[in-house]
Amino acid sequence: MDPDNLGQLIRRAQAGETDAFSELLEAHYDVIYRFAFRWCARREAAEDITQQCCIKLARAITQFQHRCAFSTWLYRLVINTAQDWQRQDSRHDHTDEAAEQPSEAARDESQVYLQQILKQLDNMGEGLRETALLVLAEGFNHREAAEILGVKESTISWRLHHMRKQLASTDGAHIS
Amino acid sequence: MTDIDKLLQQQDIPPADPRARQAAMRAALDEFAQVQQAAQGSPENNRSSSQGFWQRLRLIKDATLRNIVMTSSTTRTLFAGLAAASVTVLGLFVVLPALLTVSPPSIDENEVILSDINMPSPQEAAAHDPMIEEIVVSGYAKPEGARTPEAPPASTVSKALRASYPDAMHMAVSAAPMTADSVTRPIPQNRDKFSTQQENPVKRTVDEPVSTFSVDVDTASYSYVRRQLNHGVLPAKNAVRAEEMLNYFDYAYSTPTNREQPFLPSIAVTDAPWAEGKKLLHIGIKGYDLSDQQKPKTNLVFLLDVSGSMNNPDKLPLVKQAMDMLLGSLNPDDTVAIVVYAGAAGTVLEPTAVKDKQKIVTAMRNLEAGGSTAGAEGIKQAYQLAEANFDKNAVNRVILATDGDFNVGISDTEQLKGYIERKRDQGIFLSVLGFGQGNYNDKLMQILAQNGNGVAAYIDTLSEAQKVLVQEANAALFPIAKDVKVQLEFNPKKVAEYRLIGYETRLLNREDFNNDKVDAGDIGAGHSVTALYELTLTDSDAKLIDDSRYTKNAAKKSDNSNEYGYLKLRYKLPKESESKLLQRPITNADTQVDSDLQREVAFATAVAGFAQQLTGSVYLNNFSYDDIIALAQANKGDDLYGYRTEFIQLVRKAKIAQEI
Repeated sequence: MDPDNLGQLIRRAQAGETDAFSELLEAHYDVIYRFAFRWCARREAAEDITQQCCIKLARAITQFQHRCAFSTWLYRLVINTAQDWQRQDSRHDHTDEAAEQPSEAARDESQVYLQQILKQLDNMGEGLRETALLVLAEGFNHREAAEILGVKESTISWRLHHMRKQLASTDGAHIS
Repeated sequence: MTDIDKLLQQQDIPPADPRARQAAMRAALDEFAQVQQAAQGSPENNRSSSQGFWQRLRLIKDATLRNIVMTSSTTRTLFAGLAAASVTVLGLFVVLPALLTVSPPSIDENEVILSDINMPSPQEAAAHDPMIEEIVVSGYAKPEGARTPEAPPASTVSKALRASYPDAMHMAVSAAPMTADSVTRPIPQNRDKFSTQQENPVKRTVDEPVSTFSVDVDTASYSYVRRQLNHGVLPAKNAVRAEEMLNYFDYAYSTPTNREQPFLPSIAVTDAPWAEGKKLLHIGIKGYDLSDQQKPKTNLVFLLDVSGSMNNPDKLPLVKQAMDMLLGSLNPDDTVAIVVYAGAAGTVLEPTAVKDKQKIVTAMRNLEAGGSTAGAEGIKQAYQLAEANFDKNAVNRVILATDGDFNVGISDTEQLKGYIERKRDQGIFLSVLGFGQGNYNDKLMQILAQNGNGVAAYIDTLSEAQKVLVQEANAALFPIAKDVKVQLEFNPKKVAEYRLIGYETRLLNREDFNNDKVDAGDIGAGHSVTALYELTLTDSDAKLIDDSRYTKNAAKKSDNSNEYGYLKLRYKLPKESESKLLQRPITNADTQVDSDLQREVAFATAVAGFAQQLTGSVYLNNFSYDDIIALAQANKGDDLYGYRTEFIQLVRKAKIAQEI
């Protein structure tokens, strides 16, 4: 969708047109879902996050002020939703861990490994997971990622550097 | 290290289930329709959309899905129904046989008496039996019947809903601005966080003659305690901080007249009402109050949490009302800016002069709760605005209003603390206003406010907002001294043991007192600070610690024998980095004080007694809630704003809550 059309569509949705909002959702559902899946690596959870995010979008669409790209704003929303989910998820004592295991095993090893790395990132510091996902997976450049996360461009560069260094050092530890 | 790059790029993402997609779309469209409807209805109503988990329950129209998402309240209703049904059946089993065994004799009797009537008994018995049965059934079923699954009255369900989740109740209740003094809502499951603390122990003067602490003018604990007691629940022990309860009240101490020496200590030594043979040392410090002409210009940046959890009548709407009040107490030249943080973080209002009130009010009115919380980013944005508008002759302050949840982990609390400290050194201070409950993070708020040279206040009602932001606006906005530390050296010849009541989180090391690098509490214009020590004199037999067999009290200079101890107070004027010292001895003369001070001291003693009672202190002996009520009642003085009367009510409520 070209930016002008998108802008139009958003304005119509903000004015309360259900059709426009529906079209907007339709166009962005996959983007949201994809990012949500990258975040949690489980289809059901990703669908959950996506639904939450769509509901949030319905509520917040009037707050979008056309100052930045819609996608920037949308990613912010998705990240917030995913963080909320993660926090709630960690509160749940993981009694349903057993139920998670089969699907865990069914997935190929690289997925499991990837999740381990992302967990490591969480332990290294705040903001690393989203930075990695935005830049390395979604292919944003540093400036765009910085805008989405509301930090300085140099922060993104530093985070990536820090992350690689740390990962390399933990890897070294594994080998030795 | 290219593993992560490769893995992320090659990650295999399974497509979403089309049904899930549909459900999500439908839910979002539903929400959209609701938001639109609310927006058309009235601008005030669009806050009433629900938050969190419940919206999903409401939005999923599919009955089968709803059954899967079985919540605690639906299970409760279901189980109540099942229980009722089984009680009924059990009742039948127990009572019927008993009645059946009783009825044959009565049939026999009929037979005997009415022997000449043809075949009366079987019919009569048959007519009798169902009747008995019916009575039994209805007798047992009636009270329970109301709760059987066949007839679940809507009110029961909704009550259960309300009891367990106030958010859900919010769907039904319109978000009208709160005007009532206290919202009586059932306590939800409590996720409020408080740091654990231990009561200060009794210390021997010989071992440790010096006691050092930082002042604390926060009042958050008292408001929180009040809120819990108004719900009929005793507050968690960790939520009770004696010093904050003491400092909630304004005491009529004598006021200093000189801005350069902005403090005047009022000291009294009285008998401790809860332990025979012990004394109470009362230290009251009143700060200098500014007149209207002396008030410096004020640059305020409000940092408001508008995350979904703030969507309660006692949160965001109360924040707005509180801000409205504060606007009224500012000068026309002062500026106000508003930053929000949540899903859509950003500046809502650039720094605007208070005389442009309409603009500020409009910006405030448009605020809405929704989205999640990202506290750290919001704080940075607020500080940037404060910096942009920095005036070194003005008071530059960020006021954070939140219900507590920051989207940051433990390691980042440290980072946030450091950030706030650096900004404090640049001259931008931070105050924290806490709202609501269920998610309240007391510990983090305390940390932030203490590091930002500000106050942390907990606002539960409109009248509390009035107290903090209007009556005590000077104190909250204009610091007259910072890093105020108190050090007491007791005279071992006179005082055998001492115990500081409260201030557990504010204790300092002895050497910190003279170290100007060590941060301590701040005092705003007109603030008063009160501290109480419980003393046991050397000639008293109420001592708790035995004398040491080997270390003899070395006889020191005996010319100070009429001194209890020596009080030292260190403070810095707001713009200075070198501290000043104020000192005076505490002597026998301090046992004789005028009646005004005596009254204030007695009231403070009642408050301290209450705080200790709530924390389950081991030093109170038989001092009861009734004693506290009597003491406070006798000493409440003029009590212009009714705070002390309210205190007495709270003690009564605590007494009742205790008995339950």
